[in-house]
Amino acid sequence: MKKQILSIYLSLLAMVIATGCRKVDYTKIDQPAYLRVFNNLNYVQTLGTKDDKVPFFCMLINPTTDANGNLTGAEIVGDFLDKRDAYAPPYPSHIGNSTSVNNPEYPGKENVLVGPILNGFDLSSWAQVPSGKLRVVFAYRPKNTIPFFQLETHLKKDILVDTTINLTSKEVYTLHLLQKDFEKKTSGVLLRHENFYKLPLSDSLVYVNFYNMSAKGFWQADDQFKDDDFALKSFKGGIKDDMNVYVSLYESQSNLNHRGLTVPGYKGKYLTNVKRNNTEATVSPYVSFPLWSSSKANGVVTDIWQRFEFLLPGMDISNNPIHDSQINTGSNWAVVNCVLNGKVSLQSNENGTVLPNLLVNVHSGKDNPRTFATVNTLEVVNGRIYLTTIQRKYAPPIY
Amino acid sequence: MKHLKILVLAMLVCGMAACKHDDLTVTVPNENIRPATDFIKNNYEMTLFSAALKKTGLAEQLNGAGPFTVLVPNDLAFNELGIFSPSDFDKMNVDSLKKVISYHIMPRKLMLADVPTDGVDVRYPTLEGSELYTTLGSGQYKENKLFFSGAYATRKDVILSNGVLHVIEKMMKPNFKVTTQQWLEKRAEYSVFIEGLKKFGLWDQLAQAGPFTVFAPSNAALASIGITSASLAALNKDNYNGDLLFGAYLMYNRHFFISDSEALRIISGRGDYSYYLKDNKHYMQFSVLVAYPQNLYYRLIVKPSNELFATPIKSVEYYVQSKMDNLCSNGVIHHLESGLLTPQQSIKQ
Repeated sequence: MKKQILSIYLSLLAMVIATGCRKVDYTKIDQPAYLRVFNNLNYVQTLGTKDDKVPFFCMLINPTTDANGNLTGAEIVGDFLDKRDAYAPPYPSHIGNSTSVNNPEYPGKENVLVGPILNGFDLSSWAQVPSGKLRVVFAYRPKNTIPFFQLETHLKKDILVDTTINLTSKEVYTLHLLQKDFEKKTSGVLLRHENFYKLPLSDSLVYVNFYNMSAKGFWQADDQFKDDDFALKSFKGGIKDDMNVYVSLYESQSNLNHRGLTVPGYKGKYLTNVKRNNTEATVSPYVSFPLWSSSKANGVVTDIWQRFEFLLPGMDISNNPIHDSQINTGSNWAVVNCVLNGKVSLQSNENGTVLPNLLVNVHSGKDNPRTFATVNTLEVVNGRIYLTTIQRKYAPPIY
Repeated sequence: MKHLKILVLAMLVCGMAACKHDDLTVTVPNENIRPATDFIKNNYEMTLFSAALKKTGLAEQLNGAGPFTVLVPNDLAFNELGIFSPSDFDKMNVDSLKKVISYHIMPRKLMLADVPTDGVDVRYPTLEGSELYTTLGSGQYKENKLFFSGAYATRKDVILSNGVLHVIEKMMKPNFKVTTQQWLEKRAEYSVFIEGLKKFGLWDQLAQAGPFTVFAPSNAALASIGITSASLAALNKDNYNGDLLFGAYLMYNRHFFISDSEALRIISGRGDYSYYLKDNKHYMQFSVLVAYPQNLYYRLIVKPSNELFATPIKSVEYYVQSKMDNLCSNGVIHHLESGLLTPQQSIKQ
């Protein structure tokens, strides 16, 4: 009997030794900076542009090379970096929404360490990268599913941008790959040091700032050189270098009509002015409107949606000479409707492109849904407009 | 009862033993995949390519270690060029033939999966030394249409012991270091076209870098719109706009295979190309359509302007695939059997 007990103990001990201790190496970056990368180089493959290179990249941070100067590895690799999506969501949802390897932003689908909740803002769409001086290389790559370093050597030599950026620890940055000049086809990067997490922003106001990072000479160029995507509507031709932005808030997302009922005081309200700038990385000031501006809102949910209009200074929004449905506005007027999930056009005859609603509706606490105010960035780049939404941390749902 | 049990057991044993499988034959996978030359030789669809390999002495090399990618035009493709039997190769210059056949061979293994999705004009070196243009139109519906220098691959990824083979439906027509100017000059059927280009000062540029896409009208085509050698000589060139009369057949800074249009239609739905002629007023629309089953033909439409309801002045189409996609060092030449603008329509205003 004793022998039997001993053997049980022995075998238990053996089991504990075999399985109990396991050394886990957690990936950790000391003094990280938070970085999010967008490829704003748009492309459309047409017969007329068949000789243009497809701007599909591999981003390499601090790359290593062999004796022949060939790229052999990098500290951080953001492969399959595709053109950016019209909507950059507040959390990295891309990975759950597609089976393709093509990444609409970095980190996007990459499985890397991401940012924390910083001053209440959810930074899960920002990757942790080492701070300090970083060498960033954007290398052209063929559009297939073979990882960059497994490609044939001659395919790894085409570099678009090779530059150095300087990041400070625990600061938030967005890095934009941009076309600088439309005629000369020059490209470059723009590193923006974001400041939303340092500002005293109220959680009952919806904040938005605007950028026009279009290439020099885009709106002046002939239409035949521009993307002919019908969904771009009035943005197709680009906007002029100096534009005023107006906002209208509509009461109901079940009435998708630009002549629908608006929130009192928010029909064509002047917000700000935006100037074309793709060389300086200054953060545009945030402007806001109240989350509960609608009298129909109950403090839990609101159904308002936003329509932003870009107008040339001097033009009067209440007396706009261009017809509502005119797409070719001579770059004097462009409209974007931020409504529902950004996939549905308005039912009325108008010229606005669509993006998702700025407000986030989720199940939080006992309320399903509950509406949250967000901090947003609207960026116009060469005939397209992009929305980046940043949300705060909110209470988990109670079922 | 006991007896029954024994009986059943005995029957079972007998039953099992009754199944005898001595003659069972199992299909053995073919372990003798043939090398390129042997495969081609044993294929009824590729007799002329096989003969060409033999004639040029490439046959032995293609049975070697490899790896090779062989783009084999089927016999029909040779027939379209007027080659019907192996003896027809005897009339040809062996060196030129060898160059062209070597252009159909790549010293590497290139499977469909190796070509970038939606890649246009991806260049791969050939055995000849120059590069061929590979285009893979995959698009939203994964159509995977593969083209090599304008030739459609009807059958892809045939595995050989020393590489891979694709069957293409027409010969690729590389002219290596020949410019578009030299190519036209050698052919008598374009003599009036050349005269016209010379008269209006458009000829010399064809020797330069380009690239150009030339829709070369034959003498008969120009005669049909009233341009002959004699009428051309009588024409006062100051009264006519050469960029319309003869410049309409030239597309500047573009090198289009006819198949490019089909590939880009698949990729983005935008396979047409429209452009202003050099007078910045007349508008040209180039498009490619498919005739059953897979014959691409092109269409050119000249309009007086780019206005929506501008009535086309002329719309022409051309169907014969073997006379398209002549690849020169500075562009591509397609044959055209109809004329575009008449002298009356090109009078200077």
